[in-house]
Amino acid sequence: MHDPDAEDVAKAGRGDRDAAARLIARHSAKLLTVAGRMLANRAEAEDAVQEVFLRLWTHAGRWRPGGAKFETWLYRVMLNQCYDRLRRRPTQPLEEAAEMADEAALPGVGLDDGQVGREIARALETLPERQKAAILLCHFKECGNIEAAEIMGLSVEALESLLARGRRALRVQLQRLKGFAGDGP
Amino acid sequence: MTDESSDRTFADRALKRLPAEAPPPGFEAVLLAAYDAWNARRPQGRWAAFRAGLRQFSESIWPGAPAWAPASAFAFALLMGAGLGVTLPSILADEQPAFSLEQPAAFSLSSTGVVQEDM
Repeated sequence: MHDPDAEDVAKAGRGDRDAAARLIARHSAKLLTVAGRMLANRAEAEDAVQEVFLRLWTHAGRWRPGGAKFETWLYRVMLNQCYDRLRRRPTQPLEEAAEMADEAALPGVGLDDGQVGREIARALETLPERQKAAILLCHFKECGNIEAAEIMGLSVEALESLLARGRRALRVQLQRLKGFAGDGP
Repeated sequence: MTDESSDRTFADRALKRLPAEAPPPGFEAVLLAAYDAWNARRPQGRWAAFRAGLRQFSESIWPGAPAWAPASAFAFALLMGAGLGVTLPSILADEQPAFSLEQPAAFSLSSTGVVQEDM
């Protein structure tokens, strides 16, 4: 299996700045998008992505091509960063969370694009972390199920189950919004 | 359309409506600056090359393991070998062999133990 990043990873580990720049250009934007949606906090997502790249540089010299694909490793590190950060956050009391969900349920008729975007982001935020990760990897990184399962360290069946439950939960949440049918532009 | 594929279509449409967020300007430069800082701190010279060679060697004999794992396995094997080398010869020397080509048999069918001098 050819890994398009393997050569650049080895070079970056030996101090090749151009190779490092290529890796950053190739991966940073998508990593930031997925981390941003996972954490629902842009600044924290930027920190997480910086941490991922620091880990990459320290491990680059030891990278052995032929094992797992580099991108799989990179996204696994990023997800672990996000899980750690989510778990460090203070937990929200259940009653408070339920109140927030109720407030979100009926935002009024005739949502504009910005409001719709915010409601979708909020619905995504309420999903359990692994369901959210599965959906984000498949949608924003455009992973196939096999690759996403490998990143998350799951069987393909387990990933499909997470995806199905996540999509259903998302649909249930969004259908409660008046004026949102999910069939916009 | 099954429930699952209709949920999938719904979720895909919904996620497409999320506003795209581009990385902030200068984000790549920040990451590259972190690389430069790491590169400046990275140990260089003969000692670093020696350590890298050692690490490569340990990777080739036990891929993925930390350096202490092959080192401990090697030290354990060395101790076992040295221990057996010291103790085994003395244990074997203490044992009497059941028979030996160099010594006469312990008994004989032709000898009863009685000396028959007159025959």
